[in-house]
Amino acid sequence: MRNAKAILLTLLLFNSLALTGSIGMTTQDDPPEGLAPEDIWSLDYANHFYPWGGNEKIQFKEFHDYFTMRDRMMQLAEQNDNIMSFHEGLNGGTNARGEETTADTYKGWHYSHPSPWMKITGGGEELEGVYGGECNDFVGDCGNYENIPDIQLVGNHHAREWMSYEVPMMFLETIAYYYGTAGIDNDGDGLIDEDTWGDSDGDGQLDDDGDCLSLDPSFQDSNGDGELCGPGDLGVDEDFPEQQITDLVNTREIYLIPMLNVDGNRYDREVFCPEPAWESCPSGGWRKNLRNNGPEPLPDLTQNIDEDCDGVDLNRNYQFEWGWPLGATIPLIPGTCTPAEDERAGISNNDVYTGPFDTSDNDGDGLINEDNVDGEDDDNDGKVDEDWAGGNSEPETRFIQDLTEMNDDDGDGASDYKATLTWHSYSELVLYPWGHCTGCETPDHAELIYHGNKMAEMTTYENMQSSDLYPTTGDYCDWHYGVHDSYCYTIEIGTAFHQRPEDIDHIAVRNLGIPFYMVQISDNPRERAQIGIQEIDKSQWLISSENLSIPSDGWVPITMCIAPDFPFTNDQNHTHVMWRTVKPTRQQSDFGPKEWIEADWEMTGFEETQNNCTLKDNNNTGTTIVANLPVPDDFSGKLHYKSMLGTRSGTFPFSYPEPAGTYEEISIAYRAPYGNTFMALLLFFIVATAVWGGLGIALKIMVDSGKDEPQLGKKEAQG
Amino acid sequence: MNHLQKSSDEFGSRIGLIFAAIGAAIGTGNIWRFPRMVGANGGGTFLIPWLFFLFIWSIPLVIAEFAIGKRARTGTVGAFRIFVGRKFAWMGLWTAWISTAIGFYYAVVAGWCVKYFTLGATNGLANVDTVEVWNAFLTDPGQVILFQFIVIAITIMAIWKGAKAIESVNIWMMCSLFVMLFTTLALALWMDFSDGSLDGATFMFSIQWDLLAEPETWINGLSQSAWSCSAGMGMAITYAVYMRKDEDTVLNAATMGLANNSISIIAGLAVLSAIFAASPDPLAVVTGGSSAITFLALPEVFAQAPGGAGGRWVMMTAFFLGLSFAALTSMISTVELCVRNFVDHGIERNKAVAFTATAIFLLGLPSTFVWIKMDAEGVAFPAFLEVQDHIWGYGLMFSGLFIAFSIWKYGYIKWCGMVEAGEIEGGIPSFIKHGMSGFRDDFINTGDNDLWVPRAWDFIMYFAFPILFTVLIVSYFGDLISSFDPWYTAFNPSDPHGAGIILLFWGVVAALFIGFNDYVLTRRPVYLGEGHWITGLFDRGNWEMRDAPLFRNVPEGAEVSIDALPGGEDPQIVEVGEVPEGWDDVYGEVMDAELA
Repeated sequence: MRNAKAILLTLLLFNSLALTGSIGMTTQDDPPEGLAPEDIWSLDYANHFYPWGGNEKIQFKEFHDYFTMRDRMMQLAEQNDNIMSFHEGLNGGTNARGEETTADTYKGWHYSHPSPWMKITGGGEELEGVYGGECNDFVGDCGNYENIPDIQLVGNHHAREWMSYEVPMMFLETIAYYYGTAGIDNDGDGLIDEDTWGDSDGDGQLDDDGDCLSLDPSFQDSNGDGELCGPGDLGVDEDFPEQQITDLVNTREIYLIPMLNVDGNRYDREVFCPEPAWESCPSGGWRKNLRNNGPEPLPDLTQNIDEDCDGVDLNRNYQFEWGWPLGATIPLIPGTCTPAEDERAGISNNDVYTGPFDTSDNDGDGLINEDNVDGEDDDNDGKVDEDWAGGNSEPETRFIQDLTEMNDDDGDGASDYKATLTWHSYSELVLYPWGHCTGCETPDHAELIYHGNKMAEMTTYENMQSSDLYPTTGDYCDWHYGVHDSYCYTIEIGTAFHQRPEDIDHIAVRNLGIPFYMVQISDNPRERAQIGIQEIDKSQWLISSENLSIPSDGWVPITMCIAPDFPFTNDQNHTHVMWRTVKPTRQQSDFGPKEWIEADWEMTGFEETQNNCTLKDNNNTGTTIVANLPVPDDFSGKLHYKSMLGTRSGTFPFSYPEPAGTYEEISIAYRAPYGNTFMALLLFFIVATAVWGGLGIALKIMVDSGKDEPQLGKKEAQG
Repeated sequence: MNHLQKSSDEFGSRIGLIFAAIGAAIGTGNIWRFPRMVGANGGGTFLIPWLFFLFIWSIPLVIAEFAIGKRARTGTVGAFRIFVGRKFAWMGLWTAWISTAIGFYYAVVAGWCVKYFTLGATNGLANVDTVEVWNAFLTDPGQVILFQFIVIAITIMAIWKGAKAIESVNIWMMCSLFVMLFTTLALALWMDFSDGSLDGATFMFSIQWDLLAEPETWINGLSQSAWSCSAGMGMAITYAVYMRKDEDTVLNAATMGLANNSISIIAGLAVLSAIFAASPDPLAVVTGGSSAITFLALPEVFAQAPGGAGGRWVMMTAFFLGLSFAALTSMISTVELCVRNFVDHGIERNKAVAFTATAIFLLGLPSTFVWIKMDAEGVAFPAFLEVQDHIWGYGLMFSGLFIAFSIWKYGYIKWCGMVEAGEIEGGIPSFIKHGMSGFRDDFINTGDNDLWVPRAWDFIMYFAFPILFTVLIVSYFGDLISSFDPWYTAFNPSDPHGAGIILLFWGVVAALFIGFNDYVLTRRPVYLGEGHWITGLFDRGNWEMRDAPLFRNVPEGAEVSIDALPGGEDPQIVEVGEVPEGWDDVYGEVMDAELA
């Protein structure tokens, strides 16, 4: 479109006789009664064109394969080297349980690819970047900061679940494009940041700005899922605040692993379900990795895959409660081969093979498998979970386990990943632990439901406990939660293993809010849930621009009303007002709209006062805190401000106003004196003397010399 | 039939030239841009760099232009052909093009001013929502085109008859402008003083020292001075063509520059006083875009004029009439600049006027109706016009550079001649001592001048000018590019607000003009075939390239020898009334065809 405009501009400048008055107008055949997408939004947005450009795969119109995905990741890392670094597998070394590993440990059995992944961080408020901070030799990344929370996001445990790596790629593209920007009108409707993920105004509609709802009903289900103005439809959650993305990337370390099971995915795509997979096996396909389960011993890379036997279900190969309970979705007899025909029909449990039993004496005490990984000291020897029964036998799961255990920025031995997420397909579900037991609840049951509901709301997926779908054993989330106390969610994306290509982008868009939500809560998901359940944060308020009065001179006081039981910290780095001035440029365009320059955001801490205030919603009494912004008196323009609160246990930020990433705006008039009368008179005389005096002298000389000149007769001009 | 003008055309009096030059220099920039720059750059703070650069940039450059025009006695194309040599005639075309390209949309803008005069005079701006009035006007192409047409019609009438008519129209309009502005100023001061203090005047003459230390204030002062005086536009070259013999270029330049700044001060004082009197947040008003101040804010402010309906009527009518006159006199100089170049090359004046006016009307049309958009505050603005302003505005800088180049070149060749003759030694110190003053000695301090120009002028032209030129260009493009993220997207030529589109259009135009140099500007194709030339257009044998003549408008008795100049040996350069070798009737038709 932009090119077309430029050509038109060129034509018009050189050949203005072409009276084309129809630029920017759209016409449509047989118009419906209501509005069409082109009437509201930019053509790019209405036509599902994503602003980062690129080919059909990058535009989510075709599926990536491992190679194109990896290329794109490397390209993005190169273009955004302040916040993204590309990695594959781990370097290895001595891991947390004393095993020696190398980079080869993490390469797939068959095709020998390590899983590609992206480290994303802005490096804190000081923006030290993804190559700043500490470097980790084992993991191979830099940009590790003790005080910045980490989050792990993993796609494609299961080879055939193609959307589970497209959604992370959409997340990655979104960060790469929008990081560092603000105030972008994503949908071209003239409004900015008016409709972020979820139902932020609480009216029961995801379409906060009502633009989808204003369409003719025939356009309201643009993704064809039967839900009018639901998630993934045009105009729903389409204009999120870019500032929030920037803030999140700056205050988190994101470990994004879009395709864990590279071996399996290549096999599914290249051999097992040849294209078009969405027609040949929409609900089937290759699930596991490519472990050789016989008859030849490993390594056996030259042998063809034995589809009847080979492979391990990676999401049954984590160690927590591995192999328990029998009768769950594990093979009745481990290692049993089942004919492939039955495999595709879904009869056999061979598809959920957990991997082999561990027959080694892990702790060297002469006993075998006497203390399985379940968080308890089964053999009463004072050590917990030190001799496991199995699991963690695969390169891919070892990669996850070692990444989790070796990425220890603060050196406390506990996992830095307080929140973790894994994408799967399909069923349109949000699942939280436990998976290994039925009729059981985690100690964090209410909190896990709280966040699950938030994510279910964004997607209109169903939120449920994992084992209520079906019991499992050794899955990713049970391990993260059970072993590492990490709030872990499994998202079951979409409606098929192999979705149709035309559904890729809107399914990805529908799921885009979830990773950002998880990134946000990863600082302290437990506390966020507790505060959220009580809605303390919702009752607090930052003074709005309508209620703010600017004093006639001096600092501008920005007040907040804080609930007495809200555990906020006085640390200025985590509790402060962010503000910036916006001034008209000094060199305005003569004929265009007013141009503004935004200064950088500045930070001013809060001070507690003795004043009381009334909290929102519940009319309870709160405490006023105030930040005095040093806005100069001679400033004239607009002031943008927002506040961020951190808690004493490190949750940061709670952002005001809602939604995160937005800010208040108020105009400030010039407040300084206009000048001193005497000095003004002085300058006036100087200028008047220079200009008018000079002019007078010039005219006098001219008149004087004119007297000497002989009068010239006028000449008639001819022609 | 002979198309040639028989004798020279000149202004009737010295004061006529002064008024014409002042009329050209004073434009809307004095009345709407100057108060805005004062507001945005710290009031009185801004006056200091602005005055400084009047003496360092504007007046020296206008002196040079007058001197070139007075000696060359041709419009810009001819002036560069004579002063820099025939290979450089395209520089004159560039200068003329920048002025004319700005003229395309300036006629539209002048039309707005006239429209607002009619609205003011008919009480159409009293008690109205000024945004609604503006939006209704701008989104109605019929109205905008009508007033654009009126402006061009007035301009044609003023220049049709040549110098004498230009002179009388300018004298009349400028005198009226002074009356109008003083009337507005008196009312504005009255308004502002009604609370016992003159806030606007105090602000306008108070220095904020911290701002004075900022480079941006100085850059803005320089750019305001450079644009407001029309220095480098080629306008002074053009009007100097009609200068009577023996006139003082220096005094004329100084008078023009000082008069220009005088009017700026009066207009600035009037506008700022009125806004400070009537607006609760005057600086927010005054820092907006120029057209926003003039067409949205001022009518609201003037509605509060003292003296009730009568005072209001006087204030609105006087201000917008004055503004219209300022715009019209600048429009006249723009069209004349273009017309003069045609006349120099043997085109009849009335044909040249008709062609130029038609072209300016047609090429201005897109600015009247293409991409009329709404900004975030619901105010209409002409995006196409804005983009043209974006593209051509800074082209003026290069026009100024070319004028400086002609001075450097003359100083250098004269110095080389002296070195070859063994009069002086070579080397840079020798050049600084003997060479730099060449242009000043021979063309400025000729004895006609009452004010002697000191050696400082040489240093300004050789050193200060290139430095300031670089500062302006670098800061402009630097700011432009740094406002893009990532920066290199500024070079995407399809972005109408980027740097790429400017460079693209400049490049195309410069390449075209350099290409024209030998085929249109200094040589001409002559048709030798049978029948009408169009019948044999594609047969090369029918065409021959001959040198193009150039007719200098030399008044009787004037000493304007060009023998020492690069163009001095060109036999095709003759004075008006002479017929150069090879000139015949065929030429007129061929030239017309070339232009059409």
